[in-house]
Amino acid sequence: MKRRDFLAASATMLPVMLNGFGVKSIAGSSALVSSLKQTAAVNGDRILVIIYLGGGNDGLNTVIPIDHYSQYQALRVNIAIPEAQVLRLSGTSELGLHPVMSGMRSLYDEGKLAIINSVSYPNPDLSHYRSTDIWMTGVEATQYARSGWAGRYLNDQFPNYPQNYPNSEMEDPLAVQIGQISTTTLLGNEQSMGITLQDPNSFYQLIGEPNSSVDASTPCCYAGNLISFIRQQQVLTVGFASEIKAAADSGTNLAIYPESALKNELAEQLKIVARLIHGGLRSKIYYVELGGFDTHAGQVGANSTEGLHAQLLKKLSDGIAAFQNDLKLLGKEDNVLGMTFSDFGRRANSNASKGTDHGIGAPMFVFGKGIKRQLVGTSPNLITGLLPASPQSWETNRDIKMQIDFRRVYADVLNEWFGADAGKTNQLLFKNFKTTSLFSDTIQSIASGSWINPEVWSNGRVPVSSSIIKINTGHVISVGQNIYAKDVKVEAGGKLQFLGDYSVNITG
Amino acid sequence: MALLDSYSTPLNAQTAAHLLRRATFGPTELEIANFAGKTATQAVDLLISNSSYRASPPPPVEMDESRTDAGQSFLSKPFDSGRRSSYYNYIQYWWIGLMTEQNGHPAILEKLTAFWQNHFVVVHASVDDYRYMDRYLRFLRSNAMGNFRDLVIGITKDPGMLIFQNGNENTKELPNENYGRELQELFTVGQKDFAGNYNYTEQDVKAAAQVLTGWQATNHGKDGTTSFGTVFNPDRHDTNSKSFSAKYSNSIIQGRIGPEAGDAELNDLVSMLLGHPETSRFICRKLYRWYVNPEVTQEIEDQVISPLASFFCSTANNYAITPVLKKLLTSNVFFDPVHIGGIVKSPAELMIGTIRIFDQPVPDITTEYTAFRNMMSYISYSMAVLQLNFLNQPSVFGSLPYYQTGFSKNWINGTTLGLRGSRMDTLIYPSVEIKPGYKLGIDILARLTSIQPNFSDVSGTSGISCEQVLQEFSKNLFATELSQIQKDFLIDKIMMMNSSPRTTWVREWDAYRLATSDTTKQSTVLWRCRAMLRHMLRMAEYQIF
Repeated sequence: MKRRDFLAASATMLPVMLNGFGVKSIAGSSALVSSLKQTAAVNGDRILVIIYLGGGNDGLNTVIPIDHYSQYQALRVNIAIPEAQVLRLSGTSELGLHPVMSGMRSLYDEGKLAIINSVSYPNPDLSHYRSTDIWMTGVEATQYARSGWAGRYLNDQFPNYPQNYPNSEMEDPLAVQIGQISTTTLLGNEQSMGITLQDPNSFYQLIGEPNSSVDASTPCCYAGNLISFIRQQQVLTVGFASEIKAAADSGTNLAIYPESALKNELAEQLKIVARLIHGGLRSKIYYVELGGFDTHAGQVGANSTEGLHAQLLKKLSDGIAAFQNDLKLLGKEDNVLGMTFSDFGRRANSNASKGTDHGIGAPMFVFGKGIKRQLVGTSPNLITGLLPASPQSWETNRDIKMQIDFRRVYADVLNEWFGADAGKTNQLLFKNFKTTSLFSDTIQSIASGSWINPEVWSNGRVPVSSSIIKINTGHVISVGQNIYAKDVKVEAGGKLQFLGDYSVNITG
Repeated sequence: MALLDSYSTPLNAQTAAHLLRRATFGPTELEIANFAGKTATQAVDLLISNSSYRASPPPPVEMDESRTDAGQSFLSKPFDSGRRSSYYNYIQYWWIGLMTEQNGHPAILEKLTAFWQNHFVVVHASVDDYRYMDRYLRFLRSNAMGNFRDLVIGITKDPGMLIFQNGNENTKELPNENYGRELQELFTVGQKDFAGNYNYTEQDVKAAAQVLTGWQATNHGKDGTTSFGTVFNPDRHDTNSKSFSAKYSNSIIQGRIGPEAGDAELNDLVSMLLGHPETSRFICRKLYRWYVNPEVTQEIEDQVISPLASFFCSTANNYAITPVLKKLLTSNVFFDPVHIGGIVKSPAELMIGTIRIFDQPVPDITTEYTAFRNMMSYISYSMAVLQLNFLNQPSVFGSLPYYQTGFSKNWINGTTLGLRGSRMDTLIYPSVEIKPGYKLGIDILARLTSIQPNFSDVSGTSGISCEQVLQEFSKNLFATELSQIQKDFLIDKIMMMNSSPRTTWVREWDAYRLATSDTTKQSTVLWRCRAMLRHMLRMAEYQIF
């Protein structure tokens, strides 16, 4: 019997243990089930894999701004990657990758990797804890939220979770974290929307038989709240363990991952994720992590292309490349999108310890076949794009100015990848964020201004002759030169304002 | 009745157990019995004075019995990088042994040291020099009950901290801000006040880093060296005056030159940090979260943290730690039933607490080093898989459940629930041999025998009932009371396996009384009791304290 058939046959026997050994099933007509059916129709088979790079990744030595190489070199003479060794990318000469990142370079050249430049948020916070919290909860630096951005999305899609889960409509965990301690990213309004495990097989063995209390009542106060929380975790864990095991058993890996002797823990985690996806687990979000990026000292070895940071980037690049290849071989490439994030970027200038201190803007990577755009924002301008803009004479530190707010990427993932309603996304992210056009052929105006100002455009870049352009209502784009585009559409109330006698050349 | 006023009701078994669970890593039955009847003040005074009993325990030794230097102290020998990993383990075992041992003198020292170790974090994985870790631990242990000012000054110059937080590389030309930030954000003033306002600025981070330029650790990881420590190098020190923001009343720390500059400026810096009104609150809030409840409401902030902090930094107290802890542990709020069971046990409270309530003796570190190692490596490994690693936390923030949203709930997830259960199983079905004749785990038959009146008189004295068995095993085991429904469930569904009446147990027990060496009769008794204990230790109720 196939796994799904078995489940269909045994749906009413699923071990939902809320009341001792009594079995609870849920009526198909309930509001919960019907709302689940609706959401399942919208991009139901799409999966997001979130990769957290713990500690604050040094963006400038990950994606090297070739177009500002001499400034780059001057800012970090003791750790700069030699220009000749920077990995070049197909179709762009403005930036390149760290020499160890050949796997991700190939993905870029195949059109499956996007680089979002100088990502941060207004009023950046340089504390690991607080900044990570901001990234995970998806709030302004001045706000606090108890739930994570992805957790809120899942909570909205599966509103009564974890009451009566697993059930016949969603027998799998909503999210799976491979790791030890549950991340804030997946925290829903009340509790984590995910299941955290290290290895599917040992997980199942560990969980063993259900163990639940006959007595649903709890003592008062804090103790009672904690007891209900733990009981609920027990119920969910038991309920999901067999599903995870079944997926791990029927799933497989077809690609070659880095050898275990190399201790690429990220690759090991992604390997499990690929196997679970192939095994048919319907979890929407997977969360994995790679730590060690807090490189205050000894970021590079005797040679600037070796050392701690190079080892980490190699793990990242090799892991992602093997994972993407696996998805391709497993026939799941169309269903999966990956995304990296970190605490914050690091300073543009290095310190004397061959390291870098906490900084602001840094690149995010988004990978998968679903992307329509490979560069968002420009390679950081190391002349005009540094903070403070006008340093005092004693000021030796330089930070990379934000180009793209990370929540714009989140909004695109929710809207375009998961197909969430735009109004709902605004509510989940507490604000309306402009698209980055990461999943769109069309570049939109996001403000009024000059055609050649990248900040006017959704992708943060000046249009080129292959660009499809839309000028949105209310925006006036001033043109001071001949312009080229594949197509230009001006919405009612939008305006192209010519500052002289210039032509529009449509190349499409 | 103010929350911070002294709790006047004499302790009963429940409140004594509560105090011991929170102030130590968990009580034995005997300790609970000894503390019941005391006032809170008497009890806490005893926990404080008992700390001197283990002020200078014997040092860790080589615990590999196959080596010729087995049983000898290694700390006075030249640094040996080949043994660095084993020696570090021995140092960690040494400390876990002190937490676990039952010497008749329960004390606040180890739990408070663990608090500071999770506060002033230095991690072995970064330092990788066992001598440094030993010095760091001993520094914390000998100052844990002392003065906060001494702790801050000492930890700033601690060689392990200089390596871990890059103070070692902090120079006037290129200041390394790592420690300057953590000193404020994590160690003293805290990042924000209770209302969410920043307590310091980025300028303050830079200025603090400049004050701290010039300190270096010596002989780090150098084979064959017999000494190590901290030096101040005036050539690396920034001699300019350092300006702080309005958060510190625009303080200026005067730049100094010469060999004494480092200490002089550090003293000024620590005085400035301790003069910040949020420092005492930050520390008191963290102590409250550690000892009372991770959740701090506005009421608690106003009525507990605020007055406790005022006392902590008062002229009379001047940042002495023990009086503050005494005030907290003897307060009404500490004994308020609302807070009993209000924290999820850390892996230490779960593992060490269970081993202590089961009275599992700790072998002598000097004379029985192999057995000692066997026991401590088991406890250390178990805590590590449950995500607690003393002396080796994942980051300078310490263990995540002490700071992340949800606090102690973060110890619990699918994997750790399963692992917690399997770790407890090993103490119910003893399999870990500590030494010949001693397998770690509860001795069920001995416990039951001790409550059976006239054990051998089977015909004249009836056997103990299921209810008595449950009563014995659940005594002081849970922070909250089990309901009657739960008790019935444990007896009928688990102990009697949903198949036999309760009277069957008495017959089986009496059969064992008649033939104690009959392994089948033993096994029947063990089978039922182990099933029940296994279930009890996996209950949600057992995960809280």
